[in-house]
Amino acid sequence: MKILAVTSCPTGIAHTYMAAEALQIAAKELGVDIKVETRGSVGAENEITNEDIKGAHAVILAVDTKVDEERFRGLPIIKVSVKDAIKDPKGLIEKAMAMEKKEYVDKVFEAKKESKEKITGAYKHLMTGVSYMIPFVVAGGILIALSFMFGIKAFEQKGTLAAALMDIGGGGAFSLMVPILAGFIAFSIADRPGLVPGMVGGVLAGKLGAGFLGGIIAGFAAGYVVAWLKKVIKLPKTMEGLMPVLILPFLSTLIVGLGMIYIIGGPVAAINNAMANWLKNMSGGSAITLGIILGLMMAFDMGGPVNKAAYTFAVSTLAAGQPSMIMAAVMAAGMTPPLGVALATLIAKDKFTEEEREAGKAAFFLGISFITEGAIPFAAADPFRVIPSIMVGSAVTAALSMAFKCTLAVPHGGIFVLPIPNAVGGLFLYTIAIIIGTLVTGFMIAVLKPKR
Amino acid sequence: MFSKERMSFDLKARTKEEVIDELIEMLYKDGKLKDKESFKRAVLKREDEFSTGIGMGIAIPHGKDSSVVEPCITFGISKNGIDFDSMDGKPAHIFFLISVPEDAADTHLHILSFISRKLMHEDVRQKLFNAKDFEDVINAFN
Repeated sequence: MKILAVTSCPTGIAHTYMAAEALQIAAKELGVDIKVETRGSVGAENEITNEDIKGAHAVILAVDTKVDEERFRGLPIIKVSVKDAIKDPKGLIEKAMAMEKKEYVDKVFEAKKESKEKITGAYKHLMTGVSYMIPFVVAGGILIALSFMFGIKAFEQKGTLAAALMDIGGGGAFSLMVPILAGFIAFSIADRPGLVPGMVGGVLAGKLGAGFLGGIIAGFAAGYVVAWLKKVIKLPKTMEGLMPVLILPFLSTLIVGLGMIYIIGGPVAAINNAMANWLKNMSGGSAITLGIILGLMMAFDMGGPVNKAAYTFAVSTLAAGQPSMIMAAVMAAGMTPPLGVALATLIAKDKFTEEEREAGKAAFFLGISFITEGAIPFAAADPFRVIPSIMVGSAVTAALSMAFKCTLAVPHGGIFVLPIPNAVGGLFLYTIAIIIGTLVTGFMIAVLKPKR
Repeated sequence: MFSKERMSFDLKARTKEEVIDELIEMLYKDGKLKDKESFKRAVLKREDEFSTGIGMGIAIPHGKDSSVVEPCITFGISKNGIDFDSMDGKPAHIFFLISVPEDAADTHLHILSFISRKLMHEDVRQKLFNAKDFEDVINAFN
């Protein structure tokens, strides 16, 4: 284990260096590996590199000046005055050694949050809509799957539990899918006033057969119409209160509604039908090709825009209320990246640090939960070896899943939805597909990684 | 960095301020300082941040000031020890007054950092405690 330290004092003549030396002496006595960067009057010496940070256990900042802490993000930091390092260097190092490294899972979620904060513009609006929609799809998908438990056509018998489940899942939750998507895309763009035209536009998209695609268009149209109305309508102060309750909802809904019915609905419904037909009739080669493409996309940026594009497309194929091959392929491909890195840490133990091997266990659990982001810390540390490996593994898995004609009725859940009867079509082969992709990624990383 | 002219093996001072004055006086007499008051202000300002009494019997008051002619160290030993508000609360016996001009060259700063580092070593400190003359002090660092 390695400790990093930075020492710095205001004049930068003496204490900076005494603290550095004291820490080095103490580290030597304790048998700890240490690297101390001094930031004195001659500038930074023995500078800590990114390579150092990667392999470090904790950081000691013995500073009385401002130093950049940002670069140590993810590492536990002990911050003290420079004199403390002179006074009790041993104590500091012992404390640093005892610090817990930030949990792997925390790191993954931090990365997730960060990428969320970074995204802007149309992509952010779309993702807001999708994230509000997903729980509806999950709830609806599972309920529909439960209905299938009584037989694939059991819901056609009125008054049965199967019919009730189908009503709740398909008639209830699924029918809200597109309106919620459109509503929250518009909400993301124009805040609360966007919700009404967005949701109404979404309902119309469903009615017109424009489906998912129509919903996306309706959401964006609603958001930008509201934003535009807010800008152009200028009311006297006394009447401003009418804007959010009367003028904005009425006008925006009118514009979006008419637009959906007379302009967008028809052509988009045609596209939608064409796509649905293509998907339905997709066979053999083209299905596998689509699987490969989706698999590559899922692994390429692990939860980034490309991954989300593939995922959103897959969710849209669920909208019809029927289990989808594409959804199955995409979920499988999203599970193998973290599973693969976890496997690599097991089969090539000597190529990973102890901490990475620990992290591998966490990656395993993220993998079985279909949290593709679980592979990010490994990919970030060694992108040129890890990313191609996980892309190949995901492509194999998705292609196999398509070839096996596996289907999935829910948009999320990882292995936890596999036991639900009929949630997965072709459960055994689906599991095989996931395992093979995991093996491919795991062995590729294990082979590509250099010896430490 | 060191000079026989700027070494005292029997400091007379009893208090922190007196010892700083005594060391500055030596520095001034050796012609390495143009303005005693200006440099003293710089040293005391540094002491205000936190005492340079680093404990283990050692104090290293220092200042960076335009009144300094060239970077150098003034050395002094006090037999009785002087209360220097040290980190460990014990009196300081060995004093290094480090004076640096505003535009000090890196080589000098490197030497100072080297000496500062050396002071952290027990054996170096022991040799300094027992130093009787200029040669002993120089040898302690080698």
